[in-house]
Amino acid sequence: MDTHLMLGNEAVARGAWEAGVQVAAAYPGTPSTEIVTNLARYDGVYAEWSTNEKVAYEVAFGAAVGGVRALTAMKSAGASVAADPLISSVYTGVCGGLVVIVAGDPGMSSGMTEQDDRYFGRISGMPMLEPSDSQECHDFTRLAFALSETYDVPVMVRLSIQTAHQKSIVRVGERVAAPRKDPGRHTDKYCLLPRFSRPLHASLLARIADLREYAEASPLTRVEPGAGAAGAAGAGELPLAGGGRARIGVVTSGAAYISAREALPGATFLKLGMVHPLPIEAIKRFAATVERLFVVEELEPYLEEQILAAGVVVEGKRWFSPLGELTPVRVGRGFYAAGLDLPRWAEAKAAEDDSVIPRPPVLCTGCPHRGMATAMKKLDLDVHGDIGCYDLTSLPPVSHVHSAVEMGASIPMEQGFTRAGGSKKGSLAVIGDSTFLHSGLTGLLNAVHQRTNVTVLIQDNSITAMTGGQTNPGNERTLAGAETKPVDLAAICGALGVEHIDIVDPYDYEACLKALKAGLAYDGPAVIITNRPCVLFPRKLGADGVYEVDEELCNACQQCLKLGCPSLHHTDTVFKKRHKVAIDASTCAGCSLCAQLCKPGAITKVGDA
Amino acid sequence: MSAKKTKPAVAAKAGARGAKKVGADPAAAAKPGVDPVAAHYANGVVDDIMVVGVGGQGVIVAAAIIADTALLHGGLEVKLSETRGMSQRGGSVSSHIRIGVTVVAPSISPGEVDYLLAFESAEGLRLAPSVVADGAAIVNTQQIVPPLAASSEHAYPYDAINRLMECSRKKRDGGRGTHAGGACLTILNGNALALQVGDLKVAGVVLVGALSTHLPFAVETWEQAIARNVPPSWLEMNLAAFAAGRRIGGIEGSDET
Repeated sequence: MDTHLMLGNEAVARGAWEAGVQVAAAYPGTPSTEIVTNLARYDGVYAEWSTNEKVAYEVAFGAAVGGVRALTAMKSAGASVAADPLISSVYTGVCGGLVVIVAGDPGMSSGMTEQDDRYFGRISGMPMLEPSDSQECHDFTRLAFALSETYDVPVMVRLSIQTAHQKSIVRVGERVAAPRKDPGRHTDKYCLLPRFSRPLHASLLARIADLREYAEASPLTRVEPGAGAAGAAGAGELPLAGGGRARIGVVTSGAAYISAREALPGATFLKLGMVHPLPIEAIKRFAATVERLFVVEELEPYLEEQILAAGVVVEGKRWFSPLGELTPVRVGRGFYAAGLDLPRWAEAKAAEDDSVIPRPPVLCTGCPHRGMATAMKKLDLDVHGDIGCYDLTSLPPVSHVHSAVEMGASIPMEQGFTRAGGSKKGSLAVIGDSTFLHSGLTGLLNAVHQRTNVTVLIQDNSITAMTGGQTNPGNERTLAGAETKPVDLAAICGALGVEHIDIVDPYDYEACLKALKAGLAYDGPAVIITNRPCVLFPRKLGADGVYEVDEELCNACQQCLKLGCPSLHHTDTVFKKRHKVAIDASTCAGCSLCAQLCKPGAITKVGDA
Repeated sequence: MSAKKTKPAVAAKAGARGAKKVGADPAAAAKPGVDPVAAHYANGVVDDIMVVGVGGQGVIVAAAIIADTALLHGGLEVKLSETRGMSQRGGSVSSHIRIGVTVVAPSISPGEVDYLLAFESAEGLRLAPSVVADGAAIVNTQQIVPPLAASSEHAYPYDAINRLMECSRKKRDGGRGTHAGGACLTILNGNALALQVGDLKVAGVVLVGALSTHLPFAVETWEQAIARNVPPSWLEMNLAAFAAGRRIGGIEGSDET
């Protein structure tokens, strides 16, 4: 048997490839990035990093309308960016199968919110499958293409970060060719003018009704008998804390299914593979076979409210919090609180020793964002940030960011903040190259058009860094490896009407300070662009030499530690009650910023002293 | 090595979790006709292995080697989950590996770690409370002081190794230490051993070698898994690193040395 240990995301890619997918488009976003990264490695698939999720969705949608099987993948916030085509494409339907992967982040490991993406199914009508492990990621993705073509509708496969980023064993299959279908020309199907979209809405309701019938009878809706043989007396009966036993039933899906199975292996489960539309008759039948019915679901009471609306008594959010990831221990503690006799979960156990110094992620040694961050902190500016690694400067020791909300927010928010009166010491928008190209351009155009005196810092590190180094239009190559023309950010800003454009080396601290002051002083929209690539991607900072501290000269002022560089640390030597500083030569990238901040001149390049 | 308490069936992980010994019983391996792996994972036993360290130390590769070893042996279910988010930015990272005949959740629940493999001593100290009382911890002496130490109210625990040894000693004496740090503690200087065999980069595989003595898999299977996860030009050095770690792991009471 051909089995592999695969990430949920890798298994999605494999399933899509086996289903004959030919076009895949996405913007990188944790926890969905690895899907298209992996699809790009398969033969017979055109894969791209698009400029944003809406564009990616439309590329994939266009390919499906063009008659081939296509896929797009995004994180929760990306689904919000792509919501317009996502909702419209459900009306029109497709020609080749279209599969939309949305990966949510309960617990917010890296997302800005923990929105419950299952509601996209209800808003749009799009059918939604929810796998629980890598095998299901593979199988459900394959199935989603078939459903998409059968029911003439895009199909969403909704992942939770737990499902996307766990590895489990997958039995893989072979690729089945899906030759291009004749797209024809269908004005009444693809032009959403009112005269066409009204009948399309009616058709959508009919398609949803058919899909509900499918879900009712599908193997996706599966009863798993509890402890003891199926149907035997006492099957699924679990001991209660106060004595006695009860037949416990659990309705669940996705990642919550795994946590519930781990927490309460003896219960009888109704596992839902399709969560929109919901197989409500199957749920009613299941409810009739148990004494106490629970629904275990992450985030909102999405299933619970629909089950209650169908007149079925069910217990859910009363025991299982809507906050964060629903881990086995949290589900177990919920069942324990609900009165089940569960020694494994009876007491809360410590996961770790909280007294040990926390170690949050930091900007890498040699990160080109550090110079500007330190300079902005020095000038005490109000910073409206965006989504990228530079968000890490909102944490100590830099901690100077005022806002960092969503992709492209920085420039319009800075514009509004300026209209509100701005701040005494100055404020500016900070955005990375990839985010600027994703959704910063229109904000800058607006600020220029409205004649608002904004200052914008584009931290151009020439890569989409935070998600692991994906290409963007600033690069010389595409994901597929084709040579392409890198976009000129300064030229774009000039074309938008910006008159003050300053290009700065972020490893030159004084130059950073000077550029910020000049940009803020300029009467009119001003843009500052940094020009050093990410220290990790696509190539490491040149081994130009590392730096060292002369312990004799170090006066323990610790100015350098304000950089938050992981290569700088305390030594045991104390001077005037403060620790002196040392540099870890094995990790120093040689950016020289600490040497620039060192007043006594204790930090020098190794070999220069 | 004490046997894990038999828990009631409902409380057991993945169904009936029977009495389980930490570490492979060398006698069982020697007995002809007894498959040590099948014997180890009988009665619903699941090994919960946690690898912790600092982003960039090679935690993910080590976890992949451990998981691949079980996968290559065959007949077992393996699940793995990793730190999410910006893990390559010098923050704390951890990988969970669960091995058994049947494994449900990909992550280990708090307080249920059987084997803790710590690449950095403060990270070892941080996760020690999660180790079961008769579990094992293998801790590298390396210390990586986070930049936050400059401004935080927390001091970096330079004494992490001593604190871990103290807890482990209390555990062995039957007392109740503040940490459920596990009775079996192995402290090693993986970085020094790695340099001895050639390069600091193989320190993680030294630690995997030390862990390997606790698990029932054949050395050849471990070596195949290493070959899958390192570049061919680095294989020889990695195998030497594994062997060096395995020698340390085999020493009883190695924290005393």
